[in-house]
Amino acid sequence: MSPAPAPAGSPRAALRDPVLAPVVVLLWAAVALFVLYPVTRLLALTFWDDGPTLAAVVELVGSWQHRRALWNSLALAGLVGAAGTALGFAFALLAVRANLPRWVGTVLDTIVLLPLISPPFTAAIALIFALGPRGLISYHVFGIAGLNIYGLGGTLLSETLTYFPIAYLTLKGVLANIDPTLEDGGFSLGARRWRVFRTITVPLAVPGIANSFLLLTAASLADFATPLILGGTRFPVLPTQAFLQITGLYDMRGGAALSFLLLVPALAVFVAQRWWTERRSVVTVTGKAGAATRVRSLSPGAVAALVLVCALTVLLVLTFYLLIVFASMVRALGADNSFSTAHYAHVFSGGLKAIRDTLVIAAVCMPVGGLFAVVLGYVVARTRFPGRRALEFAAMINYALPGTIVGIAYLVAFNDPPLALTGTAFILVICYVFRYSLAGTRATTALLAQIDPSIEEASASLGARRDVTFRRIVLPLIRPALLAGMTVLFIRAMTAISATIFLVSLSWSLVTVRILEGITNLELGQASAFSVMVILLVYAAVILSSLIMRRLNAGSLGQAGTLLGG
Amino acid sequence: MARALLFAACVLLPIPAWAADTINVYTAWPESLSQPIFKAYSAKTGVPINFIRLSTGELVARATAEKNNPRADVIWGAPGDGFAAAKAAGIIEPYKAAGWAKIAPELKDPEGYYTAVSKNTLLFMSNAKLLKEKGLKPPTSWSDLLDPAYKGQIQTADARTSGTALTRILSIYYAFGKDEEKAFDYQKKLHANVQVYTKSGGGCTIPAAMGQAMVCIAHMPDAMEAKKKGYDMLTTFPREGVAAVIEGVALVKGAKNREAATKFIDWTFTKDMQDLLDKNEVYMLPTLPEGSVNAAVQALMKEAKLLPVDLEWVGKNRKRLVDRWINEVIKD
Amino acid sequence: MSATGARLRLVSVSKRFVRAEQGVAAVDDVSLTVEPGELLTLLGPSGCGKTTTLRMVAGFEPPDSGRILIDEQDVTGLMVYRRNIGFVFQNYALFPHLTVFENVAYGLRVKGLGAAVIREKVERVLALVGLPGYARRFSNQLSGGEQQRVAVARAVVVEPRLLLFDEPLSNLDAKLRVQMREELSRLQRQLAITTIYVTHDQEEAMAISDRIAVMQAGRVAQVGTAHDLYRAPRSVFVAQFIGRVNLLPARVLRADAGGAVVALWGREVTVPADEPVAAGQSVSLVLRPESVALLPERAGVPAQEFAIAGVVRGRTFLGEKVEYAVEVGGTLLQAVSYDPLRHGLFDVGAPVQIACAPASLRLLRGQG
Repeated sequence: MSPAPAPAGSPRAALRDPVLAPVVVLLWAAVALFVLYPVTRLLALTFWDDGPTLAAVVELVGSWQHRRALWNSLALAGLVGAAGTALGFAFALLAVRANLPRWVGTVLDTIVLLPLISPPFTAAIALIFALGPRGLISYHVFGIAGLNIYGLGGTLLSETLTYFPIAYLTLKGVLANIDPTLEDGGFSLGARRWRVFRTITVPLAVPGIANSFLLLTAASLADFATPLILGGTRFPVLPTQAFLQITGLYDMRGGAALSFLLLVPALAVFVAQRWWTERRSVVTVTGKAGAATRVRSLSPGAVAALVLVCALTVLLVLTFYLLIVFASMVRALGADNSFSTAHYAHVFSGGLKAIRDTLVIAAVCMPVGGLFAVVLGYVVARTRFPGRRALEFAAMINYALPGTIVGIAYLVAFNDPPLALTGTAFILVICYVFRYSLAGTRATTALLAQIDPSIEEASASLGARRDVTFRRIVLPLIRPALLAGMTVLFIRAMTAISATIFLVSLSWSLVTVRILEGITNLELGQASAFSVMVILLVYAAVILSSLIMRRLNAGSLGQAGTLLGG
Repeated sequence: MARALLFAACVLLPIPAWAADTINVYTAWPESLSQPIFKAYSAKTGVPINFIRLSTGELVARATAEKNNPRADVIWGAPGDGFAAAKAAGIIEPYKAAGWAKIAPELKDPEGYYTAVSKNTLLFMSNAKLLKEKGLKPPTSWSDLLDPAYKGQIQTADARTSGTALTRILSIYYAFGKDEEKAFDYQKKLHANVQVYTKSGGGCTIPAAMGQAMVCIAHMPDAMEAKKKGYDMLTTFPREGVAAVIEGVALVKGAKNREAATKFIDWTFTKDMQDLLDKNEVYMLPTLPEGSVNAAVQALMKEAKLLPVDLEWVGKNRKRLVDRWINEVIKD
Repeated sequence: MSATGARLRLVSVSKRFVRAEQGVAAVDDVSLTVEPGELLTLLGPSGCGKTTTLRMVAGFEPPDSGRILIDEQDVTGLMVYRRNIGFVFQNYALFPHLTVFENVAYGLRVKGLGAAVIREKVERVLALVGLPGYARRFSNQLSGGEQQRVAVARAVVVEPRLLLFDEPLSNLDAKLRVQMREELSRLQRQLAITTIYVTHDQEEAMAISDRIAVMQAGRVAQVGTAHDLYRAPRSVFVAQFIGRVNLLPARVLRADAGGAVVALWGREVTVPADEPVAAGQSVSLVLRPESVALLPERAGVPAQEFAIAGVVRGRTFLGEKVEYAVEVGGTLLQAVSYDPLRHGLFDVGAPVQIACAPASLRLLRGQG
């Protein structure tokens, strides 16, 4: 990757800039208040009780439940990372290397989108319907009774199916970028397909594989909802334990300490993943564009095996979503399968408040978060303001942390005056903005790397102040990044739960929380109806965004993969 | 652009419950049961009720966290043990509604901190088809459930999140004659047969209805609800007895809409409201003597051996009991 | 390192593409024979089909029709890794995750040779290409020329029967290209492996090839040694592709013993002709710039030479030579004079005579 053009000016000049300095101060203030302060309060609650103390953590580690939860979280994360990466790799191979007709790739892309745009525990619900002890598939189709999907098995399956699309999107890009002449070279030296795959393709894909593994591990570590539904008491995991500690046992300190236990591995994985992607890539980008058809690098047998695996997965995913749609349209799935619009009627009457609230929050998040992301990206990439790297890292913290931790931290920090913000829409918006702006910031820095800084210098030479240049020159050029950031915010605002479950209130409710409530109260039809609404809304948003991006000639930035994989 | 942002920020800044006359309610009852009742009140008085449904544990935790700045005005509809905890945490204040004197003493806090709006209890809900397949009779005793035939076939509530679970623990405790060791010994044995502990009290009704488990130990309303939906279920009681549960109402300390809240609580203890328990098929018994009683529910409750519960004792020992359950019973 | 070069025969090989980005690149009924140990270059502009032909020989693309025979064995349907060829890619295609040693050893490992044998062979071939001691380095630590040599080493160490080069020098700068092509040529002669070399650079082709096949639009326009192609191009395309050329339109007046009498700029001249021509035919005369001598206006001209008056319209002094553009009879002629410091320069606008031997005017049928 060619290095980005170096930003002009000196740090001292940046400090004296009359527009830049206040903006940076404002950014720092926001980040300090809404990222650093809550985390500090959380750590204080854990480690301070009229003096520094390890009592809370020690008490935690003393409990077998929590020790088991720590072990389970790590083990599950590792397994999901491995399984999801393997599955994503199979899909990526099929899409990029198997030379199948174009429509296969399109079908894969569309199906794979589903888990990414639905609330994260959709798979869990469907799994219970489908593969539970009297599941519609396991029992009614295959006659296997008494299948126990609670515990590690069910949680692993559910999370793998939920997160493998991230691996697929990452690995698809990596495989497509491997220079095909390298594999040709292997063939020309007498190596057969399997050997070329083993000694050339896979080693070159290793950075992508490692990246996928880390992304999926992070996602599993933070997943609060799936284990809540499928874990049961036999398979506790940290985020769920933290949640239960606070909401079930009214133990804030214990919950905070559990969050801390989760924070350490989560941060470690995050740092590892960032470090890995920033390393110089081993993959060389192909020189000759449009290389002609190469030797098929997958044998027909291999393609058949891949098709089998992927077809089964696709079938399973489709079945899950169809089950949910079906459940939303019948009176009571399993007992009374007669058609009924009652659930949707409820969604549009009693549930309307939640939908309206969620949409309002999402709508406010978008411009606030989008602008924040873009301004931050600009300051980091284009100015020489001292401390900007620290600012960038600090702004990322809420993204790196599992949602449960952020939610608890906000609860601790903003419950009492002078900053009694819990229960307001403000805190929900802030939570989303500081958690999900990273995609917008990254898109901004990527776009800016392609724009020569001399354009801004020209503007300055013509007398424009920094903010005028930003508004009239930079902003129009980075519109795709702004749009990408806003789209991601919208999607996340519609589907997130782990942080915001702690922040909903009488005045503001969220659809995802209603869905979870519906599941726990076994109003499954209602939960399904809400889920379908969310999926439709998010899908519409993604399509709309992609269309606008195409108009803006945004290239890969507008593809669903970039928007949802981040 | 900056102006627009400023405006948005102002609009969303912390604004306390803005509508002048709204009542904010925390309830543990499923929405399908609580919402019609709240709607009836709003229709009658024109005062809107803003409510949120939380499990008992979450409810008490949230109210405790909000102690210095309470968001809710009334806790309406939650099991008695939750109120014992709430009283201990100092988040509710005593209020004796107009009809308070008519309520029997075992159905209220002597100082008036909380009063029962309805009576409830625990029962065994079994899937008729599965039982027949396995050639089993529906369970009529706590010890029946220890039968290896039920291995992996029982679902019931998780004590960390559900008040129903505490009812179960208390039922077992009182059924074993207040012998805590015997009670927990039993629960450890029962654990072997449990498939999964559900997050909410009624969480096992649908799985049992769909045949994913044979037996669900749940509160009476949840079981009746499933039956009403059309699932083929049998309800039985253990002959050793089950704890008598009260669903209570209390005024939150420092409620912002105190006036409106007290009026609402007053209405709760009128025949109008209590009749709704029958009319709306809530499947719980009223606490006001003149409240109309659902015949089916009454017949069912007659089968049960109800064991009285000492709520003060429960309030003091709740955490300990739950901790014991976590550390001894569910450990594999 | 001994290598028995194989004989390669292409028999009526054709291929059609329907890729939008490249247009319809096709190979159209190509037949060629490459003798054992020979270096044949496929030369032509981009899109002429030379690379496609090469890739078909390698086995990367299957031909639509025709046959490919290596030592009379029909390999048309054979997979790449069974053909025992060595392929040097334009971008070298070195495996970035392997050291130089491992890159070169790759094909040997595939063959399953022992570690000691591999080490010996790899070290020998690295010395052969002038990179002893480079074994532990990675490709991103090498210069372009060094990478190129590693690619060659990797291809030859497996002792292939055919060596295929796909524009291997086009990514190098000019000086390096000249140096590398000499080394490649030397190496090929030493190893005596039958080689097909693809390039668009005619100077390169002429420098290293035993024979050159000029390709145009998927067909072989002409095959021959550099000398043959230069001296006797059989089409305007070949004439213009190899070296620079002046194409002069003329009309045949009559055939003669050993040639034809044509009318050029209103004058009669007898020129050699390889093929029979008919009177009245329009033809082109190929005249190389170096065959055009510039003489002062009134200088005497040797009797047998063809001379005509012209005016210098352009002059480019290039040190060892000077190029002139001379207007003669309404046409602009290119002329090159060597050793200009000795012979002096003509000014722009000066009237001159251009002279050439009639034998330098090669006759081509058809117009330019």
